[in-house]
Amino acid sequence: MSARVKLPPILQELSGGIEAPEVSGNTIGECLNNLEGQFPGIKEYLFDRRGRLLRIFGIYLNSDGLNPVELDTPVRENDEIVILNFLMGG
Amino acid sequence: MRSYTGKLIRINLSQGKSQIEDVPEALMKSFLGGRGMAAKYLYDELKPGVEPLGGDNKLIFMMGPLGATTAMSVSRMALVTKSPLTGTIAKSIMGGNFGAYLKFAGFDGIIVEGKAEKPTYIHIDKDGIHILDAGELWGLDTQQTHAKLRESHGKNTQVACIGPAGEKLVRYGIVISDRRCGGRTGVGTVMGAKKLKAIAVNSTGPLSLYDAEGFKKIAQGIIAELKTSPRRIKMSDFGTSYLTLGFEKMGIFPVKNFQEGHLEDVEKIGEEEFAKIKTKNDGCYGCMTKCGQVRQVTEGEYAGAVSEGPDYETIWSLGGNLANTELASLIAADSLCDKLGLDTVSAGNSIGFACELFQRGIITKKDTDGLELKWGDHGTMMKLVEKIAQREGFGQLLGEGTRRAAEKIGKGAEDYAMQVKGLELPAYEPRAVKGYGLIFATSNIGANHMYGRPREDLAGTTDRFADEGKGKDIARAQIGQAVEDSVIQCSFGPVTGLNPESRSQILVAATGFEEFGDPAYLNQIGERILCLERSFNVREGFNRKDDTLPKRMLTEPLENAGPATGQVFRKLDTLLDEYYDALGYTRQGIPSAEKLKQLGLE
Repeated sequence: MSARVKLPPILQELSGGIEAPEVSGNTIGECLNNLEGQFPGIKEYLFDRRGRLLRIFGIYLNSDGLNPVELDTPVRENDEIVILNFLMGG
Repeated sequence: MRSYTGKLIRINLSQGKSQIEDVPEALMKSFLGGRGMAAKYLYDELKPGVEPLGGDNKLIFMMGPLGATTAMSVSRMALVTKSPLTGTIAKSIMGGNFGAYLKFAGFDGIIVEGKAEKPTYIHIDKDGIHILDAGELWGLDTQQTHAKLRESHGKNTQVACIGPAGEKLVRYGIVISDRRCGGRTGVGTVMGAKKLKAIAVNSTGPLSLYDAEGFKKIAQGIIAELKTSPRRIKMSDFGTSYLTLGFEKMGIFPVKNFQEGHLEDVEKIGEEEFAKIKTKNDGCYGCMTKCGQVRQVTEGEYAGAVSEGPDYETIWSLGGNLANTELASLIAADSLCDKLGLDTVSAGNSIGFACELFQRGIITKKDTDGLELKWGDHGTMMKLVEKIAQREGFGQLLGEGTRRAAEKIGKGAEDYAMQVKGLELPAYEPRAVKGYGLIFATSNIGANHMYGRPREDLAGTTDRFADEGKGKDIARAQIGQAVEDSVIQCSFGPVTGLNPESRSQILVAATGFEEFGDPAYLNQIGERILCLERSFNVREGFNRKDDTLPKRMLTEPLENAGPATGQVFRKLDTLLDEYYDALGYTRQGIPSAEKLKQLGLE
C-alpha cells in the first residue's frame, strides 16, 4: 500500500521541508517506520528508545476522524496519515 | 449583576485592621481582573524602592471575571507583589479551589499590607474578616496547616498557606492551596515576611452573572466539544509528564544545569512509568480534565510518598536537571517541596547550580556541610531540599537563589547561575527554542515559562533556531499570556476550550461589558498590563541591561542535544530590538511616552 504522511512543521526540520512524503506500508506503524528510508534519522524523533510513539504526537487517518489511531491500524491505498504535534509548554 | 463581586478586602497586618472596598468599574474595564487588576493596584500603591520583605510591600490576591463560574478551568487566582528574589514585579498564578470560594464569599481579591508582630492567619466567613493568632500553625508544614484549619473551621474550609520555607524567608517560598501552588517569584516569602501563615475561607453566597442563560449556553457548548478532545484527554491521562520524552528528543530538555541536552535513561522518568503508580486525578475548581496526577510510591526507600505531581517542570528541575532518573525520588521530593513550601523550579535549579560548582571545584565538601554533590544522587538532593527549606548550613546559601548565592561564592560562580533578573530558568533550553530565550530575557518577572509561550517555535511553523525575526511573535505571546492571566484561564489551551472569540462572548455574558466582546480590545488590555509591569520595573531601575540571558546561552554552543546541538544565542541584541519595536518601547527597553499615552498609562 502507498500512503502520504502529513508531517507537522517541527518534523519537517528532518524532512528537508517536505510536508507530505509518500511512503509504503500495510499499517500506520510500517508507514512511519518506512519514513526512515527517505529521511534518515526521522524515526529517532517519532519513537522513544523503547520503540513507542512519542506522546507529543497524535496520529490521525485522513483528517476525518476525531480520535487518534493506533500504529497497527491498516492503511488503504492513497490514505493520508496525519501526524499532529502536541508540544506545548508545561 | 455582573460576575465581578465588585468588592475587595484590604487588610493591614501592622494595624490589625481590615476593611472592604469597592472595585472601580473603570479598573475592571481597563485591566480585566487577576494579574492585570492586581498589577494596577501594586503600581499605584507601592513606592519605588520598597524592600520586598518589609512592611511596605503588599501582597495581592486577585480573581478574574470568570472565576467561580461554571466555565471550564477559569477559577485560578493571581498573586502579585514585589519579588524578594528579583526586585521586580512578581506574579504567580495559583490553581485549586481557594479563589472560587473567595468569590463565593463575596470578594474579587485581597490586598495584604503591613507586617504582623506575631504569626497570624486570616479567616473569612459570613460573620466577617477575622485576624487570628497563628502561633499553633507556625512551623507546621502545608498539609498539617490545611488539616489544622479544617479542624478549627470545618472540613469545607478553603486554605491558602505557606510552609516553613516561607516562614524562614527562603527567597522562593510558595503559597499553596491543597496541592496547587502560586509557585514562582517568592510570593510565599512575602507572606512569610508579613508573618501571615494562612488565609482560610468559608463561603456563603452564590455568584451573579449578567446573562446567566447566555453564559450557560456558551459554557455548555465548550464543554460538549471538549469532552472528546484528544489533547484534553491526553492531559487528563498523563498531565504534562507526556512532554518529557518529546522535549528531550528535540534537545529542549536541559540536563546537568543546562550543560547538555541528553539524559541517559530518560525513559525511566517518562509518562508511562509515572502512569504505573497513578492512583487518581485531581485538579482545579470547575475543570473536568483534572490534569493533576496523584501518584504513590509503593516500594523501595521512598515507599509511601504521595504527590499530585510532579508535573513536567518538576520532572525536569529535580530530575533531568540533576541527571536524576530515580522516579520514586521525584515523587518524594515533589511532595517534600510542597509540604515545606518551596518552589520546585528554583529549588532544583539551585541544587543543579551547586552540583556544577562542585563538579568544577569551585566549591568543595568544606562548603557543603560535608556533602559530596554528584549528578544523579537523589539522596543528597533530598537532604538539600530539607536544608534549603530550613535554612540550615549550606541550604541557607542556596535559599537565597542562584544569583545571590553566586555573588557570595565568587570565583566565577555567576557563570553557572542559570537565572534572569534573579529568577531561575525553568525547564526549557533557550538555545534550542530561541523564542523561549527571548521570553525569558524580556519577562518582567524573570525567567518564567508562564510569561508567554513561543507557540510558533514549538509547533515548528517558525524556525526555532533562527537568530532573528521573533520579536513580534514573542511580544504577541506575552500579551496573550497577560490576557489569560487576567481572565484568569488555565494556560493549557486544550483544557479550557476557549479561543479568542468564545472567550470574548463568554466574558460579555458574564460581565455585561460589551467592550470585552472585541478580542482586539482584550489584546489591548494585555498590552497595557505588560507595559504597566515594565513601567513598574523601570521605576525600580530596570532597563535593557537586565533583559539578558545567562552567559552560557550567549557563549557556549549547546552540547549533545540532538537537532539542537551547536545552537547558541548569536543575536540577542537584534531580537531585543525587534521585541522593543513591536511593543513601542525605546531601544533601552522603556515604554515610550507615545505608547504610554496610547494605552492610557500616562
